[in-house]
Amino acid sequence: MGGPLEPLFDVEEMELSFGPQHPATHGVLRVQLKLDGEKILDARPIIGYLHRGTEKLFEQEPFNQCIPHTDRLDYIAAPTNNQGFVVTVEKLLGITIPPRAAYIRMILAELGRISSHLLWLATHAIDLGAITPFFYTFREREEILDLFEAYCGARLTLNAMRVGGLPYDLPDGWVERCAEMMEAFPAHIDEYETLLTENRIWKKRTVGIGVISAEEAIDWGLTGPPLRGSGVKWDIRKVFPYDRYDEVDFEVPIGKNGDTYDRYLVRMEEMRQSVRIIQQCMDRLPDGPIMAKVPKVLRAPEGMVYASVEAPKGELGYFIVTTPKGSQPYRCHVRPPSFVNLQSLPVLVDGLLVADLVAVIGTLDIVLGEIDR
Amino acid sequence: MALGEFFSKLIPTDLFSGLALTGSYFFKKKSTVQYPEERTEPSPRFRGMFGYDVDRCIDCHLCAKACPIDIIFIRDHTEVEEDPETGKKKKRKVIDRYDIDVKRCMFCGLCEEACPTEPKSIWLTTKTYETATYERNERLYFTKERLMSWEGVTAYPGVVPPDKGMLPEDPSGAGAREKAAGGEAA
Amino acid sequence: MDQPLYQFLIIPAVKIVAILAVLLLVVAYLTFFERKVLAYLQVRLGPNRVGPKGWLQPIADAFKLLVKEDLIPSKAERFVFLLAPCLIIVPALLVWSVIPFTGETTVFGLLSEPIPAYLTDINIGILFVLGVSSVGVFGIILGGWASNSKFSLMGGLRSAAQMVSYEVPMGFAVVSVLLMAGSLSLVRIVEVQREAHMWFFLPGILALGIYFICGVAETNRNPFDLPEAESELVAGFHTEYSGMKFALFFLAEYANMLVIGSLVAVLFFGGWLRPFPNVEFLAFLDVIPPFFWFASKVGVVIFIYMWFRGTFPRYRFDQLMAVGWKWLLPLSLANVAVIALGILVKNHLLKG
Repeated sequence: MGGPLEPLFDVEEMELSFGPQHPATHGVLRVQLKLDGEKILDARPIIGYLHRGTEKLFEQEPFNQCIPHTDRLDYIAAPTNNQGFVVTVEKLLGITIPPRAAYIRMILAELGRISSHLLWLATHAIDLGAITPFFYTFREREEILDLFEAYCGARLTLNAMRVGGLPYDLPDGWVERCAEMMEAFPAHIDEYETLLTENRIWKKRTVGIGVISAEEAIDWGLTGPPLRGSGVKWDIRKVFPYDRYDEVDFEVPIGKNGDTYDRYLVRMEEMRQSVRIIQQCMDRLPDGPIMAKVPKVLRAPEGMVYASVEAPKGELGYFIVTTPKGSQPYRCHVRPPSFVNLQSLPVLVDGLLVADLVAVIGTLDIVLGEIDR
Repeated sequence: MALGEFFSKLIPTDLFSGLALTGSYFFKKKSTVQYPEERTEPSPRFRGMFGYDVDRCIDCHLCAKACPIDIIFIRDHTEVEEDPETGKKKKRKVIDRYDIDVKRCMFCGLCEEACPTEPKSIWLTTKTYETATYERNERLYFTKERLMSWEGVTAYPGVVPPDKGMLPEDPSGAGAREKAAGGEAA
Repeated sequence: MDQPLYQFLIIPAVKIVAILAVLLLVVAYLTFFERKVLAYLQVRLGPNRVGPKGWLQPIADAFKLLVKEDLIPSKAERFVFLLAPCLIIVPALLVWSVIPFTGETTVFGLLSEPIPAYLTDINIGILFVLGVSSVGVFGIILGGWASNSKFSLMGGLRSAAQMVSYEVPMGFAVVSVLLMAGSLSLVRIVEVQREAHMWFFLPGILALGIYFICGVAETNRNPFDLPEAESELVAGFHTEYSGMKFALFFLAEYANMLVIGSLVAVLFFGGWLRPFPNVEFLAFLDVIPPFFWFASKVGVVIFIYMWFRGTFPRYRFDQLMAVGWKWLLPLSLANVAVIALGILVKNHLLKG
């Protein structure tokens, strides 16, 4: 007697290719899984199914013509993509934008953040089996998209910012319409929370799932809600304010345990804070020009610049290298938050079940357009 | 205490509040828009199908240069014209081809922004979005004539094609229509 | 016995055809009903394009499934793959032979003597239902296994574990009703509820809750729809099925939902009896055919099913097992004990 027990039959690991065509991979993510029954032994994300060479395209376009391409990185929150790019180029060229433009940019970016978080909530809930929040959140998202359409004529791929300011001023009545929506919106967040926050099934599926400690989160380079869910107070809007974020008052919500439930709470609170920012911006919206004095053809000095903004998914950075008098980037690298956040997937799902993989993919809030670029 | 916890687990009030919410929506007004019969009106700035006016176009090629994906194709030649009264010779550019490969267009609106004429010679604020066809290479490649006449495009109700006199909305605020009308009056 | 052919062949045959026809039609319209209910819970309108207000949608769906290409994966176990849909649909339909829709009927006065409207009343009716309906799980397991797809296999395995563990508390919930009724015959259970002046959901409220939850799990419905959890396993055990074979799985699921609904109505809400069946004051309600009461009770149960689906997230596999074994099983056992004690007290102490 004694010694390890001989298994009665052969036990082998099952390899499962989760995606790229799968309802829960939010696009074309493929996860190569090694399973013991339903337990995950190893998960390896495989990306590249949506690679379109956006960074290479930037090298052939004048700065303002790059902006439509940035829309297509994180196509769920186009304003922050635009904003990241124009903020970077403005830093390179040393342009200060007029205050009205900065405030309108912030309104657009926060609306984009809300719409992105709404879509995240919808898909996250549907991944965990709750189908109804999807329709409730899409109802509100539709209103935000209508606001975008009224402002710039497009609903998703806005192309709404230019180096030095904005292409259009707000149309008549837009501020009132937006204020009305922001007035009603917190009640809708309460509705989603009624369906999910205290729901015992939702809690069972999210509490303690995909836990990552603050140190680990920093080591993996996580940003955005996944980092804040672990209790690290890090928000680009606070630590490196761009546009006029230093003039508005808002809180940076953080979680405690770094699990899926905390990340959920952080994002819900972020939506409420975004409403606060938008309301402040609209109250203080100054009159004046929407475009700084910039030449028609932008000529950049030789150099390199990196600037980042707080996108809904985390830190979105652009690194641009220019040649002397270059009217276009010599090289442009995008630091997409989803790409960096996704690399923590194997750590987060280690030892969990297949059903939790879906929850973790949902909580990372990835967009493949941004990961594959 | 443990007993209270037991009963709170047994009687799922958290689940009932969710049921009450979805149940209350059962009787509320639905937000569906029944598409072919009902349509939501696009905003005046909505970027949709192209409008183009060859008479206003000054053949400056700025739109083609501004296009990030180079789908505007312009071919022109210069004609020398003699004024019959003064006998002066005048050079005039004539547009042979002005094609837009709409199937590749991403509707960013940069061409419209680049256009220097007033009102714009190329514009997207037409409220028209029903350009779907069963064939993309022929039907979604728009030549100068088709851009003017909108043959094969279902215009948004109330919108007329450019050759019937449609003018672009000015995206900077005030309608270009009034501006154009005011200019004529002055 | 003077008309044996008439008695034993023709009437049952007519009944079988009628039950099957009505059942399949009801099941088809149940899918429509579900889509409408879900849509209304989700601030949208649901199917309303095919026919007036969308009423021909189920017919269009059935036609589409019939003419759809019927694929068999190249590495599937052909025979088992074909057997699985039959294995699931047959028990789902067979159960209906003992479900009492309504008491005796003369079919609106067409017949001289009233005949029972149900197909048969066997004295182990409820046992028959439990037994036959649990055969259906073989269809799911075999279908999942024979597809030679990993998602299907996982769906099949989940289903097997789920069905087995939820049969037990379900059985105990039924036992507490049997204790009260003193019979296994479904018709007799309804009659006892009339004689007792009380529907069984009053003393058996806990049993009702347990039975309902187990019923949701047995039919693989949200929040226990793990075997076909779309976001995890694509479509679970029927991932590889298409066309009519898929339709059979679909039919079986909805037929099973109806069975659970009917059993809730029969066991706890007095089957075809009108509300307060012994109150003379409400006798005018008797003009409404008893089948109406049965159908409306089933309809309410089905509606709650759909309401659940429109509200709740999905449990995880191990949590589902925990709910089954750690909560429902002890509760159902305790419930049986309490009800047995109650009956003992009522029969011996109060009378004595």
